[in-house]
Amino acid sequence: MLSLWLRRLSTDRIARSRNSSAPLVVTGRRGNAEIFVAVDDAAERLGLSPGIALAQARAMHPGIDTMPEDAEADATLLESVADWCLRYTPLVACDAPDGLLLDISGCAHLYGGERELVADLSGRLENAGFGYSLAVAGTIGAAWAAAHYGKPASHACGEERAILESLPLSALRLQTVTVAGLARVGLKQIGDIIDLPRAPLTARFGSDVLRQLDRALGHEHEPLNPRLPVAPYVAEQRFAEPIAREEDVLAITRRLARRLQFALERRGDGARRIELALFRTDGVVRRIATGTSRPLRDPDDIRELFVERLAALADAFDPGFGFDMARLSVVVAEPCPPEQIGIGGSEDASKLCRFVDRLSARLGPRRVHRLVAQDSHIPELAEAVLPAQAVNGDAGWAGFRQYRKETKLPPRPLRLLARPELIEAVAEVPDGPPLRFRWRRALHEVIAAEGPERIEGAWWSEHGGPARDYFRVEDKSGLRFWLFRSGLYRDLAQGAGAPTWFLHGTFA
Amino acid sequence: MGHSHEDQATDESWKVCIRMRYLEFAVASNFSFLRGASHPEELMVQAVHVGLGGLGLCDRNSVAGVVRAHLAKRERNLPLRYHPGARLVFADGTPDILAYPRNRAGWGRLTRLLTLGNLRTEKGACTLYLEDLLAHAFGLELIAMSGNASLLARLREIAPHRVRLAASMLYRGRDRARLIRLKDHARTAGVPLITVNDVLYHHPDRRPLADVLTCIREKTTIDRAGRKLAINAERHLKPPEEMMRLFRDAPEAVEETLALSDELSFSLDELRYEYPDEQVNGFDNAQDALAHFTYEGAARRYPQGIPDKERANLEHELQLIAQLQYAPYFLTVYDIVNFARSKNILCQGRGSAANSAVCFCLGVTEVDPERADLLFERFISPERREPPDIDIDFEHERREEVIQYIYGKYGRERAGIAATVISYRGRSAIREVGKAFGLSEDTIGALSSSIWGGAGGSVSKDAVTRTGLDPQSRRMRQILSLAQEINGFPRHLSQHVGGFVITRSRLDEVIPIGNAAMDERTFVEWDKDDLEALGILKIDVLGLGMLSCLRKALDLVDEHYGERYTLATIEPEEPAVYRMLSRADSLGVFQVESRAQMTMLPRLAPRNFYDLVIEVAIVRPGPIQGDMVHPYLRRRRGQEPVTYPSKALEAVLSKTLGVPLFQEQAMKIAIVAAGFTPSEADRLRRAMATFKRVGTIGTFQRKMIDGMLVNGYEREFAERCFQQIEGFGEYGFPESHAASFALLVYASAWLKCRYPDVFAAALLNAQPMGFYAQAQIVRDAREHGVEVRPPDVNHSSWDSTLEPGPHAAGRLHTLHHEMRDDIRTTHAVRLGLREIKGLSEKDGKLIVERRSSQISVAYDSMRDVWLRTGLSPCVLERLADADAFGSLGLARREALWAAKALGRVGDRDDDQPLFTSRGNTSARIVSQEPDVRLPPMPIGEEVINDYRFLHLSLRAHPAQFLRTDLDVRGIKQNDSLRRIPSGMRTRISGLVTCRQRPGSANGVVFMTIEDETAVANVIVWPKVFERWRPIVLGARYVTVFGVVQEECGVIHVVADQLEDLTHFLARLADHGADIDGLARCDEVRRPIEEQREARIAGGRHNRLVRLMREIPELAGDLDVSARGSAHAPARRARIS
Repeated sequence: MLSLWLRRLSTDRIARSRNSSAPLVVTGRRGNAEIFVAVDDAAERLGLSPGIALAQARAMHPGIDTMPEDAEADATLLESVADWCLRYTPLVACDAPDGLLLDISGCAHLYGGERELVADLSGRLENAGFGYSLAVAGTIGAAWAAAHYGKPASHACGEERAILESLPLSALRLQTVTVAGLARVGLKQIGDIIDLPRAPLTARFGSDVLRQLDRALGHEHEPLNPRLPVAPYVAEQRFAEPIAREEDVLAITRRLARRLQFALERRGDGARRIELALFRTDGVVRRIATGTSRPLRDPDDIRELFVERLAALADAFDPGFGFDMARLSVVVAEPCPPEQIGIGGSEDASKLCRFVDRLSARLGPRRVHRLVAQDSHIPELAEAVLPAQAVNGDAGWAGFRQYRKETKLPPRPLRLLARPELIEAVAEVPDGPPLRFRWRRALHEVIAAEGPERIEGAWWSEHGGPARDYFRVEDKSGLRFWLFRSGLYRDLAQGAGAPTWFLHGTFA
Repeated sequence: MGHSHEDQATDESWKVCIRMRYLEFAVASNFSFLRGASHPEELMVQAVHVGLGGLGLCDRNSVAGVVRAHLAKRERNLPLRYHPGARLVFADGTPDILAYPRNRAGWGRLTRLLTLGNLRTEKGACTLYLEDLLAHAFGLELIAMSGNASLLARLREIAPHRVRLAASMLYRGRDRARLIRLKDHARTAGVPLITVNDVLYHHPDRRPLADVLTCIREKTTIDRAGRKLAINAERHLKPPEEMMRLFRDAPEAVEETLALSDELSFSLDELRYEYPDEQVNGFDNAQDALAHFTYEGAARRYPQGIPDKERANLEHELQLIAQLQYAPYFLTVYDIVNFARSKNILCQGRGSAANSAVCFCLGVTEVDPERADLLFERFISPERREPPDIDIDFEHERREEVIQYIYGKYGRERAGIAATVISYRGRSAIREVGKAFGLSEDTIGALSSSIWGGAGGSVSKDAVTRTGLDPQSRRMRQILSLAQEINGFPRHLSQHVGGFVITRSRLDEVIPIGNAAMDERTFVEWDKDDLEALGILKIDVLGLGMLSCLRKALDLVDEHYGERYTLATIEPEEPAVYRMLSRADSLGVFQVESRAQMTMLPRLAPRNFYDLVIEVAIVRPGPIQGDMVHPYLRRRRGQEPVTYPSKALEAVLSKTLGVPLFQEQAMKIAIVAAGFTPSEADRLRRAMATFKRVGTIGTFQRKMIDGMLVNGYEREFAERCFQQIEGFGEYGFPESHAASFALLVYASAWLKCRYPDVFAAALLNAQPMGFYAQAQIVRDAREHGVEVRPPDVNHSSWDSTLEPGPHAAGRLHTLHHEMRDDIRTTHAVRLGLREIKGLSEKDGKLIVERRSSQISVAYDSMRDVWLRTGLSPCVLERLADADAFGSLGLARREALWAAKALGRVGDRDDDQPLFTSRGNTSARIVSQEPDVRLPPMPIGEEVINDYRFLHLSLRAHPAQFLRTDLDVRGIKQNDSLRRIPSGMRTRISGLVTCRQRPGSANGVVFMTIEDETAVANVIVWPKVFERWRPIVLGARYVTVFGVVQEECGVIHVVADQLEDLTHFLARLADHGADIDGLARCDEVRRPIEEQREARIAGGRHNRLVRLMREIPELAGDLDVSARGSAHAPARRARIS
């Protein structure tokens, strides 16, 4: 058994993509505090260690680099190291969060022996820039203990007791409470409990202690759980006769989607990203992917998406001598509530979604937008433009309308100008509406006005700007505008500039 | 102030005349918590500034802020009308309605209505329904903030001609159209329209703060709050011209505000106080009853007959009481004290009235007016008509009984506790503002923990930099300035520690009553300053830890030494007691145990009771800020002649060698020397406390100093007197309080001197109280020769007890050898189970009860304890951790091993239904286990574990085990300090027990450390502190390198270098680095909420710095007086 401990996994990962050699720590939120979850060698030399609060450490060492933790990236990296270790043995298990277990029995001779295998592995890890510690022993427990508690070397089978005796009890992979409890009665090293009567120990600290001890000593077998491939949603079909026509491809897509539908429904998932892989007889693989605006599993909907995608590809869809296999995989799945059938509202919504999906599939997802209501008084901040597929539901306008209604605020134009346009206006001081104004060189005589609706700037933001008085006005020709005075006469006393006028939108 | 009275009046009426065009009725102050963004005082001042004719204050379902606005008007003579009211917010969807009382009866209805809403819910909330208003509308003028025809019709039905509909123009786009509609609506409904601006702050500049309050209320951040924030900043006080311009379409609505104001005649001054009727069974009236009880008491006090002088005093006082009709009040106090005495609850009155001859005879106080030589002024000044001042301290553990007695006697309609306004201060300010700006919890933690004691309670730029943020960034500047601005804003109301308001008629027709967080408590909405300002009487029923301690001690002396003492019969004026105090041997002694007091004791060297009165009062902000300490000390030592500024002041200052030290003296100087009237002097004092927030006190300052100059006093003396009054402002210490406290100082010092065993046990049993923790108390007792024994399941009670033991006098530490003939101790202290960390009182008492009652034999094994008590093995593990099984022959690890074995299925007999045994269950052993030999615990680890689970160790001091390492580093033992001459450098070390950084000490940190030989005092100057900050704040064990300073037997080390040796402790045991020996006064662990803004400026600053260089600890008590209730000094202290 070989236990490998990548003791600097997080910091090594980050170090690969940075130039600085300043001490590096990785921080994460635990409860209410931001604490260190990993430190690199340089940081450790400063006396920093995982568990220290960020704020506290900053007070002492303002110069350290901090990065937020990314458990997913760490896991991915560990997986890839695990995959890479398959070169030594097929039996590789992840020892989360930062270790691997390799069953090298029967494999070592391929490298000329354990020692040589270890040398090879060490060399490669060093080249890859990993901090590590590894040990080989007869049992998982002993190898793990030796790797993590400072006897990294190769040990023959049967020497477990010698390895373990002087190591602390936590080397047995026990719960921290158990270790603390044992320490309180003076039992601190594995050697302290090896020869103790078993019954009293079990009675006090549970059977776990002795089981872990027995496993480490080799008195009890400990199974290794090699990594399994992750099961995605995949459906594939081989064809006796290669297919080449678009209709056939779409038909087969629908059939595969139908098979996936059952799998998705069983787990309550829906597809957010789907990939169709078409295997040409000559070995070339064509991959066509598409996203969806909501978790999807209806086969017809999925087929429709590929209709648009194929239409967009057109030329590039080159079947050659035909495809002999098609594989449809759900690359990203999301929980999708069971669908309710027959309620008008939701059908409308799904129609809109379908429309958005089709448009996006044809024009590209970045070209189809929706306006989403934002929670702000300031008109241009009250809406945001987002890719339509990313928007679910009603985009927040119901809340906006509700608010305007409750507070009895006057209506706003449906669309605003890209940015307010400066106008020349003559108006009553201090807060009257404009009597006439010039916009894009045309003069407008105001015959009716409503307002002001006074909106203050966001004082907490750099771009807050001055207060505005908005008016709805109508000119002689019946055109209606939304314009505002920027800045208040009240603020003149505090050194603000004279108010200016802007036009912000027109009413239909 | 230059105007004659007549001038002012005409001037004023003219102003009012031109202003009377608009009054603002919808005004919320910051007592509409988290909505209003201005203090009531600010609103009043701004209202005058913009020219309003008047202002009606109406907070949300509350009248908590109305008195402050009332006082602002009264104290500053503001030319505007003021109407107190409330904004009624309903739980049933009814729109808000403003309610203003027309007259006293209307006020009563309003407060009853609010009381109804308050009592319906838990603390802090008020649930009202429209029905409630309909039932209480009599005498109220109502303004509906909005409302449909049916609501207006219903209101009009119950309050014809007293309903108005509010109209506002708040720049919401359709204001004018809305106003036209409202006019129609009002006309149809037959009610007048009235202009309001629905004010939330006095000036538009408060918008950022108002937005932050919204974020705090909505628990969101400024970036996420969005439309929850106000759309604009229009809800401020606007000038009448502006309001008339806005309402040019409805000028009648503006005029309606005048019409409404004319209807309202109620003033808060009408809430004249009515004393409760006291039981006067068998007497014609209260005065007769009081006279009877007084002479009855006098006969007891003076068995040989009342001396002529005393009789004359009594006559005089009784006559004064009769004249002012205060007899019922004295009878109330007498009744409460009698109740306490009947329940054997120790109590003592204090305050000017408490130290009268009458109160001495009634038994309210034990301070013999003769012995204290008190009362240079009589206890009540008839011209001030201020209610008499009596606070009564009770044992803190039994005060609740007294409170419930008062509720029971007067009923909840007539008795209630005063409120305390909990405000945003320093830490809570930065915490809440930081949250509103979305700072992370730990950043906020780092910022707020940087606020230590004083410094105005704000975050320094350095502190910001240290947390890794940029203090110059726009956002950080906003955070800091808003935190500063919110400082002092009320956050919620809480109950005062014990100020009781008792009335003859219904209390809820005077003040709204609400539920307190504690069961069985109700409190009123005004705090003690508000109540006092309106002349409403309160009696302070306070809890005092030292009284609990003294009662326990007197009981122990009775039980073990067969001597029954009371506070009155403790042997008076014993020189041994004064000798002890003069050596600064005062740990645990009431009031004089702080480091500052310990430094002062040898300088002052008290020789009699009155010296103690001075000792208590001199280490206070007043005398220190007024620079009175040094002159007094010099004169006392005869280094300076005793002179008086004038003949007139000789009478005032003769007892204190010409140096004013007491609050009464400072006030008297203002009267005698500066020509203040007594009520002016009182207003001056109150102005310091109440009016810091707004206006200045400059006018008073000028008046006083000018007045004194005119009367021929020197400017310097005049300025110092004024500064002293400033210092007294909030934490003034009157002689009358000092005298009552001095009695307890003497009593506790006497016990410590004669029976250190009793004193230590009683102190331990009265914890938590005082400055020190168990470890320091035990250390002190052992140094006084007392044997202290560890807690044990077979020997300990819940409390610490006394067991026969050695004569302490023969075992004294060399420090205390002088006391050989003074100490009478012949007992050892057995620590109680209460000292065991994490053991609940219920479990602890069960162990004791089962040991003594059930079988009445000692426990013989762990199993025996377990079976007889039925406690869970976890609890027994706690006992094992604390090494409480020594009498069973079980060491710590063995006991733990045994405890761990308990609780297995089948162990307890009733777990075995098939084999129920009828034999002697407790002794039966279920199964024989093989013996397990556990490694013995090294002694160092034992000590560490003692600290972890017992807060102290009787075995050894941790430093002892580090000594070899310390020697290698050239670190000396602390007791060597006494042999090192002043000015030499040395290197010492110790466990950190206390760190204090008084705000007034300019960032000086006082550290106390102890090793196995002695306690050492360390001074860390700010520069050194900044350099070694993490060590000062974080280290548990430190080395200090610095210069030795010695004066009057008090030794400090002034640190210039520190080293953290905490890791040495970790070598002794696993958790060695986690132990602490911190005392209760440590401010890092137990931060004091900043109670008082530092008001040090100008010349005084320098003097203070100079003084503190000489007696640095003095600064400690500038803040210490603001600490918790156990040492709450004076009636002015805001006790949280």
